[in-house]
Amino acid sequence: MNYITFLIKSALFNFSRNKGRTFLTSLGILIGVMSVVLLTAAGLGLKKYIQTQFESIGTNTLRVIPGTAIRNGQFQGGPSSIGTIRFDEKDLRTLTRIRSLENVAPVFTKNGKASYGKETKFADIYATTSDIFPVLNFTPQYGKLFTRSDSIKSSKIAVIGPKLAENLYGNAKDAVGKNLKFENLNYRIVGVTQSKGGGGFGGPDLDSLIFVPYRSAFSFNPDKKFLTLAVKVKQGQSIPRVKKEITEALLRRYEEDDFSVFEPTEILSALNSIFGTLNIALVAIAAISLVVGGIGIMNIMYVTVTEKIKEIGIRRAIGARKTDILYQFLIESVILSLFGGLLGLILSFIIVFFVQSVFPAYIDLPTVVIALGVSTGIGVIFGVFPAKKAADLTPIDAIRYE
Amino acid sequence: MINLKNVYKEFQLDENVAYTALRNVTLTIKEGEFSSIIGPSGSGKSTLMHIIGLLDKASRGQVLVQGKDVKRLNDDELSTLRNEFVGFVFQQFNLINKLTVLENVLVPSIYARKKLKYDPYKKAMYLLERFGIAEKAKSYPNKISGGQQQRVAMARALIMEPKLILADEPTGNLDTKTGDEIMKLLGELNKKEKITVVIVTHEPYIAAKTKKQIRIVDGKIV
Ligand SMILES: Nc1ncnc2c1ncn2[C@@H]1O[C@H](COP(=O)(O)OP(=O)(O)OP(=O)(O)O)[C@@H](O)[C@H]1O
Ligand SMILES: [Mg+2]
Repeated sequence: MNYITFLIKSALFNFSRNKGRTFLTSLGILIGVMSVVLLTAAGLGLKKYIQTQFESIGTNTLRVIPGTAIRNGQFQGGPSSIGTIRFDEKDLRTLTRIRSLENVAPVFTKNGKASYGKETKFADIYATTSDIFPVLNFTPQYGKLFTRSDSIKSSKIAVIGPKLAENLYGNAKDAVGKNLKFENLNYRIVGVTQSKGGGGFGGPDLDSLIFVPYRSAFSFNPDKKFLTLAVKVKQGQSIPRVKKEITEALLRRYEEDDFSVFEPTEILSALNSIFGTLNIALVAIAAISLVVGGIGIMNIMYVTVTEKIKEIGIRRAIGARKTDILYQFLIESVILSLFGGLLGLILSFIIVFFVQSVFPAYIDLPTVVIALGVSTGIGVIFGVFPAKKAADLTPIDAIRYE
Repeated sequence: MINLKNVYKEFQLDENVAYTALRNVTLTIKEGEFSSIIGPSGSGKSTLMHIIGLLDKASRGQVLVQGKDVKRLNDDELSTLRNEFVGFVFQQFNLINKLTVLENVLVPSIYARKKLKYDPYKKAMYLLERFGIAEKAKSYPNKISGGQQQRVAMARALIMEPKLILADEPTGNLDTKTGDEIMKLLGELNKKEKITVVIVTHEPYIAAKTKKQIRIVDGKIV
């Protein structure tokens, strides 16, 4: 029996004799660790979710929007952020002339009621050109995508997402050739896109979109303006240089604060920094429950010390030093706290396991290490005062205590 | 080996009232002695033994252990002396109930700072064997008799091979026959292993078994 196992054995004996008390005391730490770990797991999941959403949009693309809402990967507020201008067909032609761009797609979006027979769903319509498909990296699953000449004509044809197709027509394949009513306009469906996955949780549902040639939808866009110009850069071109080319071309007509050119991944990093801050705030609030748990441990450790005064006296009489007594009680409080932390972690893993079928939350190694480290730290911090009290008892007073 | 010079011990009962439990105690315990401190209840025997055994400090006067003034020793050094130099045997046995008999005997060796020249586990088993309680090694103290508990306490006092055994009424909670056996074991330790033994008692027939008697009445050596 060496020193450490001896101390641990002493502590464990105490717990086995006071099972109820031990459990209730570690419950505080359990709840604290669980809330911190679950919130962290949710934050990680959200980050991962946003990332996969953006990855599916495709790389090598840029967006041009009115206003200065996104600058250097951060969201910006202020009066200029919203922007007063709207793009038109002239801007579309300006960008089309830039040779380093492969595709330029104007986009006007609107949310509205899409229906077929008695079935009705709310969906986003993208009034655009065929250039949107390579920009967003969409391919047909059934039927075909509309073409450049369809885009220029105001043909009443539409390409829809597989989820919307399934919702309205029962089967994605059956949608091709059917009619689709969007608000007061009637379209004929020519194709259904490949599934992008994801959707839900407030993210863009890329499987429920409706694409139509923009000229066919001027009835809800009477000014013939666009909110976004989405472009795909030619292979091998440097993104910062192309950004500059677009900016220079548009500056001939607009002021610098009228528009922004950015990569979709800049939204990603902006979102990440917002959610990151929010998550840190939530985790910090949850950490308060850890402090409460720690106070519970301190309380019970004071009780334990009082119960063991006689034993402390005996140990001092046969040669224990102050530090030996200190370590004995510190180990006890650390085990108590670590026990709660471990239970909290196990419960978190179980909860995350079940949540994963609907949300990609996950617990990573740093979270596990930090959770266990913090539990240990709480055991030390809140155990040190009771342990010090035990160590500072004079041997004779302790051994005479009844 | 132990010298007390003009030792006083006062207990502060409240702000203005102090009780003097030891007055001007001067005594010497020589190496190899087998002596007893005898006196009526409340005369200060236990108080004296606690001071000799470094569990308590004198209010005034000098306490020398092997020539060293204990006032000069810090808490860790006193702990080390209690661990290596003294072995205590108490009237109430004072075993740790959550540890087995064997573990109780081993506790002092766990707090040892020096490297032991022997295997404490073997030593513990040998002592339990010698005191006739080897088969109780895995039992817990509250499951064995008082006489057996006092033998465990003696084994614990001996595990570190101390020079001095201090026994405060070691037979006080035992019947005459069991008490005599404990006294016989203490006598053997003194005789065969040259361990200095000091026992505290209020019974003259117990004191008579020792070679030297120190009488104390009202905190004074008489
Ligand atoms: N911590 C203390 N505070 C106050 N008074 C004390 C304290 N310890 C001992 N005394 C007093 O000192 C006196 C001597 O006590 P001590 O325990 O040494 O007596 P004793 O000779 O061992 O008696 P007994 O034979 O009953 O054990 C007693 O009057 C006791 O009340
Ligand atoms: Mg006494």
